[in-house]
Amino acid sequence: MDTESLIKSLLKEAELYQSQGLLDDAKQKYDNAAALIEKNPELENRQDLLDTVSEKIGALGSDIDKVEKASKSPELSAKVQDLIKNLFAFSDEKDKDETELEGAIALAKFGQFDAALAEFNELIKRDSLRVVAAKNILRCHIANASLDDAVAQYGQWLSSDIVFSSQQLESIRIFLQGILDRKRIDKRLPSVVSSTHFEAVVTPSHVEEEISEDEEFLDITLIGIRPKAGRLIELDVNFQRGNTISVLIPGRDKDSINRVEVGLKLDDVECSSAFAVFMASGTVIEKTRIDTGAKRGDYRVEIKIESA
Amino acid sequence: MAILNLKNREIECKIVYYGPGRSGKTTNLEHIFKAFQKHVKGEMVSIDTEGDRTLFFDFLPFGVGKIKGCDVRVQLYTVPGQVQYSSTRKLVLKGVDGLVFVADSLEVRRKKNMISLKDLQQNLKDYGTNIFEVPLVLQFNKRDLAEQGIPLMSTEDMERDLNRQLKAPIFSASAVSGDGVGQTLTECLKLTLQSLQRQFNWAE
Repeated sequence: MDTESLIKSLLKEAELYQSQGLLDDAKQKYDNAAALIEKNPELENRQDLLDTVSEKIGALGSDIDKVEKASKSPELSAKVQDLIKNLFAFSDEKDKDETELEGAIALAKFGQFDAALAEFNELIKRDSLRVVAAKNILRCHIANASLDDAVAQYGQWLSSDIVFSSQQLESIRIFLQGILDRKRIDKRLPSVVSSTHFEAVVTPSHVEEEISEDEEFLDITLIGIRPKAGRLIELDVNFQRGNTISVLIPGRDKDSINRVEVGLKLDDVECSSAFAVFMASGTVIEKTRIDTGAKRGDYRVEIKIESA
Repeated sequence: MAILNLKNREIECKIVYYGPGRSGKTTNLEHIFKAFQKHVKGEMVSIDTEGDRTLFFDFLPFGVGKIKGCDVRVQLYTVPGQVQYSSTRKLVLKGVDGLVFVADSLEVRRKKNMISLKDLQQNLKDYGTNIFEVPLVLQFNKRDLAEQGIPLMSTEDMERDLNRQLKAPIFSASAVSGDGVGQTLTECLKLTLQSLQRQFNWAE
């Protein structure tokens, strides 16, 4: 192919890729064409060609910039937010609390923080969801880049003893303090229990016990376990209450089902959360075969995470 | 995950269109929305961003009608193809019953196809699903561009790249004109319902 035909072909490709929205590929072809034009001074109208191609490259550069700078989580209409809540809550419809919690979490995952906050602020009124909703409220503030709002929210809960028990508030404080510490933010959150009183009534071992018994655990999304020193099994966390997580093992994975028994101690549980991956130990406390519904034949396994 | 109500003879399943950015996933759904109006059970929802790129997902509720006495409804989704939307893709994939992988036939997109398929495999694995076991159909899209003299991969090369091990059914398509779109969906539906039959014996 002679140079002129090659340039024409590159420009044709570039135009088509641009029309397809393949902006990087289009720019690459224009760059190739420009280099070829530069290298061939004998070309007729060379400067005009170069100017045209440069203009195209410039325009593409600004389109690429626009795409890269576009909002990753624009505020969606209420109708679409409702759709997200309905489509991404996977729990059994009979478990209303869990379904609504999942719907609110889905909104947060799609960056609809204001709507998610409104949902969590309703869920916080329910005793069974109070702590988990509170932690998600804090998480929404943090994800929305307002750590100060999270701290202020905690302060607001602290000064009002209507909703939370002091134990629940302490659990939330530990959760938020953990996030602040991991972000290396030098701020100590006030406790509902005065530090002297707290130290006076609990020994360090009691503190540890409180920490593991209570609900300060991060939301764990995925765990990796090696029961009986076998191969690594990665399991998506289906549900979490405090330090007890529920995972599903597909019925066809006989090997994993056989290796996971009630009472089995797991020394190295790799826990992944939105904020960090950490190692913990745990104990299998329940293993149930699901006999109805979409997951029939699969096993629901509950693991108590004991130390992190 | 499919919802089966055997008492009322109803099945609702989820099919996800996966593939690299700009491969034509949304265009597939748009064609289905226009061409199969009779089966469409609601609005098509598209959540996109600058340059019509899918930001979160597209969603289209679809009704197949009665099969073996069961009313079969399908939720059709697309995922955002751009690499940076990994967590959204994974979220949309949750509970999937059947998959269409829309590969871009343009030669310049060869690597993107392979990366996206690998990403699909990993995301399924994270949910405890083996890509070899999930109902999956491959669509080689944009075949119409060959007429414009644009370098496309041959279907043989694409099959070697993407389907050497999977051995999934393949359809050549042009989502813009609609060629192959219906056949792809029909095959995926067939495989999905067969898979649900193996799991739940719904057609008994």
